[in-house]
Amino acid sequence: MSNKANKTPEQMKYEKLEQKHELKRPVLKNCIRAFWVGGLICTVGQAVTYFYIYFFNFTEQTAGNPTVATMIFISMLLTGFGVYDRLGQFAGAGSAVPVTGFGNAVISAAIEHRTEGFVLGVGGNMFKLAGSVILFGVFSAFVVALIKTLLTIWGVI
Amino acid sequence: MKKRLLIMNAISMILLSGCSGDGKVTDSDLALLKTTHPPAVLIDKNTKENLDLVQSIEYDVEKMKELYDVAVVKSNGDTLVAYKVKHLQRFHMKKIEKKMTKMLEEKYPDENFIVSSDYKIFIEAVELQEKMKDPKFTDKEAKKKLDKIIKLKNEMT
Repeated sequence: MSNKANKTPEQMKYEKLEQKHELKRPVLKNCIRAFWVGGLICTVGQAVTYFYIYFFNFTEQTAGNPTVATMIFISMLLTGFGVYDRLGQFAGAGSAVPVTGFGNAVISAAIEHRTEGFVLGVGGNMFKLAGSVILFGVFSAFVVALIKTLLTIWGVI
Repeated sequence: MKKRLLIMNAISMILLSGCSGDGKVTDSDLALLKTTHPPAVLIDKNTKENLDLVQSIEYDVEKMKELYDVAVVKSNGDTLVAYKVKHLQRFHMKKIEKKMTKMLEEKYPDENFIVSSDYKIFIEAVELQEKMKDPKFTDKEAKKKLDKIIKLKNEMT
């Protein structure tokens, strides 16, 4: 951010003009949309969990893994069909924060770079955005596991 | 537009036709959705002492105000106690499990308890209780099923 004192009078004038014409962000509306769509995605996830509990040999503890895989797979398909993009436009963070957003990030990057070839295009760019999710996810899981292991060794928990 | 509507109609018809099964709906099918209060199951010598013991275990567990549904299955080795926790009390799941295990072990020191709040274990326990009504279902089969439930409970991932 540039310092206000360093601005020329023209810049200040332009800033005022910009503020006059700038559209106000509908924060509350966005939040409500994100809340509903995010909640809807999680409800579908819960239904998938119950499906695995009912029809397969999964307990509440173990049903999480196949549920996540299924949700990511569904969002990948929807991204390919162009449905998830519209949902993302409408819901914003509501569709990006749940695990389905991860599938969307992978496939949309793959589609975008398809013209650059399969190896350097799709392969090299597929995890452009999702890569950071994997990296920080794995790293934070490692740190939490390390803390838990140490606490268990010390007999705190 | 008309074509799309037709396709949507056809898909919903195909999906909904799956609901018209004439299979009998049992308690275990609905155990996830409603309170079933299954009677305690005894896979052991059918003596009065054993019956009294299993019923008294069920009575003691049902007295806990955090729970709303309890299934007890007792074999000659292990006693399985599966229960459903009231929604808002699910935040204290670990505490409730600890409290229950302590109470049961103090009151019935000779029994080996397996305690679980998992929905899948509860559904399986209700299913076992339903199967026990069938005279063709032997004690050996029941014990095998109980062992399977205990194995499922101990599975972590």
